[in-house]
Amino acid sequence: MLELNPILVKDLRSRMRGARAYVLLTIYLLILSGVTLLLYAALAGSIGNDLNAGRQIGRTLFLTIASVALVEVCLITPVLTSGSIAGEKERQTYDLLIASLLTPWQLVWGKLASALAFALLLIAAVAPVMSLAFLFGGVSLAEVVIAMVGLVVTAVLYATIGLFWSALTRSSLGATSFALGSVILILLGIPFLIVIATLILGRDVSSDFLEAPLFIYLSRLFIAAHPFIALGVTATQISSGENIFVEVVEAGASSVVVPSPWLLYSFLSLIFTMVLLFFCVRLLNPTRPVTTEAPARAKQTGAPDGA
Amino acid sequence: MTAIVETLDLTRRYGTNLALDHLNLTIPEGAIFGFIGPNGAGKTTTMRILTTLLPPSAGEARVAGVSVTGDPRAVRRLVGFMPDFFGVYDNMKSWEYLDFFGRAYGVAAPRRQQMIGELLDLVDLGHKRDEPVMSLSRGMKQRLSLARTMMHDPRLLILDEPASGLDPRARIELRELLKELRALGKTIMISSHILTELAEMCTHIAIIERGRLLAAGEVQQILRSIRAHRIVEIRVVAGAARAEELLRSHPEVLELRREGERDGEDASPLDDASGPHLLLVDFAGDERAMGELLAALIASDVRVSHFAEQAGDLEDIFLHVTRGIV
Repeated sequence: MLELNPILVKDLRSRMRGARAYVLLTIYLLILSGVTLLLYAALAGSIGNDLNAGRQIGRTLFLTIASVALVEVCLITPVLTSGSIAGEKERQTYDLLIASLLTPWQLVWGKLASALAFALLLIAAVAPVMSLAFLFGGVSLAEVVIAMVGLVVTAVLYATIGLFWSALTRSSLGATSFALGSVILILLGIPFLIVIATLILGRDVSSDFLEAPLFIYLSRLFIAAHPFIALGVTATQISSGENIFVEVVEAGASSVVVPSPWLLYSFLSLIFTMVLLFFCVRLLNPTRPVTTEAPARAKQTGAPDGA
Repeated sequence: MTAIVETLDLTRRYGTNLALDHLNLTIPEGAIFGFIGPNGAGKTTTMRILTTLLPPSAGEARVAGVSVTGDPRAVRRLVGFMPDFFGVYDNMKSWEYLDFFGRAYGVAAPRRQQMIGELLDLVDLGHKRDEPVMSLSRGMKQRLSLARTMMHDPRLLILDEPASGLDPRARIELRELLKELRALGKTIMISSHILTELAEMCTHIAIIERGRLLAAGEVQQILRSIRAHRIVEIRVVAGAARAEELLRSHPEVLELRREGERDGEDASPLDDASGPHLLLVDFAGDERAMGELLAALIASDVRVSHFAEQAGDLEDIFLHVTRGIV
C-alpha cells in the first residue's frame, strides 16, 4: 500500500490540532469579509442607481477581495513554512530526521505540502466571499479562475521562499525574518526598479531600443515578476476586452505578441519555485559539511552535560 | 564474535581543530560497548560519523561491513541513534511519535502498529500511549526516545550520553532496559563521561581523549592489563609501627603508603595512641601470599581490624590512562 509522506502526516496532525489553525483562519476571513462589508457600504451610497451600478459594485468588490486575499497569502504562506525546517533544528529533531531513511526530497516535499494544504484551505475559504461579487455581475468566470490561479501560484512560490530560508538558517525567528524580508523586497523592490527604469529610459534612450522585441519581452517578464502588477494588469486588459492569454504590443510599424502577464507570472513563479526547491534539497544533504559541522562544534565547546 | 563496527584511521577535522585522530575502533556484535572520555574528547563526533550525520575528513568507518560514506542509506537501516538530547515534538502523543519515526524508516503499517505496542510495553510506557510527549517526565522521554531508536529493528544502537540528567531511579531503569535489549541480540554503543554509569553494564570499553584512542577491549581484560598488582588496605588498631617495619621489609610489597600521605613525606614511626591507622600496600603477590602476609602481621602482634584488596574499577583505569589535558 502506498503510504503518505511521513512529514506531511506529522505536520498536518500538529498543525490542525488545537485552536491555532482555526484562530488563524477566522482572523483571515474576518479581515476579508470586514473589508468587503465596509467597501460595499461605501459604494452602495455613492454609485447611484443607473443600470451599470450593480456591475460596478460587483467588479470593485471582486478586485478588492482578490487583492486583500493576495496580500494575506503573500504574508501568511512564507510564515507557514519558515518555521518548518528551522523548527526541527530548534527542537533538536533535525538530526533524527536526517539519520532516518527519509530522503531530503521527502522532507522538503512533506514540509511544503503540509504548509500548502493549509494555504489552499485559506484560498478555498475566499471562494464564498468572492461569490458575493458574482451576485452583482460585472465579473467573468475567466477572471475568477485567473485570480484563483494567481493566488495558488503565489502561495506555492512564497511558501517555497519560506522553506528555503528555513533550510538555510538555524532559528525559526531568523528564517521568518529573512522570508518576510524577501517578500517585502519583491513587493516593494520591483515597483521601485520599474519607476527608476522608466525615468532613465524615458529620458535618453532611442525608440529603436524600446521597440525591439527582446526589450519588450524582458521588460514584460520583469514587470510580471510582481504578483499585484501582473494580476492587476491582466484584470485591466480583460475589462478592456483583450484576449485572456496573449497581449499584442504595438512596436512602431510592427506588433509583438506577448503572453498575458498572469501567464508570465505563473511561469516565472514555477521556475523560481523549482530553483528554490533544488537548493532546499541540497541544503538538507548531510554530506554537506555546512549543515552538520555546527552542532558538533557547538557540542564540543558547549554547555556542561547536566549530570 | 564478528565486528559490527570497524573504524580505520578515522579522522575528523573542524578547521584546524583535530577532533578525531586516526581512530581505530572495533565493536564486536552483541556487546555493550562503553565509550568513555571527557567532554570534547571526540565521542559525539565518532557517533555522528557512524550515524552518517557527519562525513569523516579521512579514514574509513564501516557498520556491519557497509561503509558510512559509500552507502549511507544501508547504514541508517542498521543503526538506531539516540543523540544526547531528547528531540520530541509538542502537540504529539507517545504513539504518534513512534508512528512517525516508524513511517520515516519505511516500516509497513501493520508491523508499525505491532511494534508501537511492543516497544511501549518494553520501555514500560504502555499506560502513556495517548499522553502528549511533552507531559512525560525526563526519564520517560528518555525511554520513549530509546523505543524510537528501536522502531526499525536496527542491529546497532548508538546512544550518546543516555543517562545524563536522569535521577538515580531512572538511571537504574535505563540500565535494566539496556540489558534487556542486549538479551534481544542488539549491539549497544553507549557514551558517557561518567564512569560509574558504565561500569556495571558494559562488556567492552574504549577510552578516548583528544580524539585518540587510549585503551579498548573487554572490561576485565583492561582491568587486568592496567593493574598488574593489587592494592591492599590494612587497618591497624595496635602495633602500627611494627606493621610498617614488617611491610617495608617484605619482598612482595612494592610500595607502602599511609592513608592521606603523599610520597612517604613523613618518616616518623606511627603512634598507636593517635588512633587506628590505614596502610595502603601495593602488593605484587597472589591471593595466597596475601594470606601469608596477614598471618605474619598477626604473628608479630599487630592488631588488624580490616584487611582487604581494593576493588579496581573503571575510575582507576580512566585516571591511569587519561592525562587530563582536555
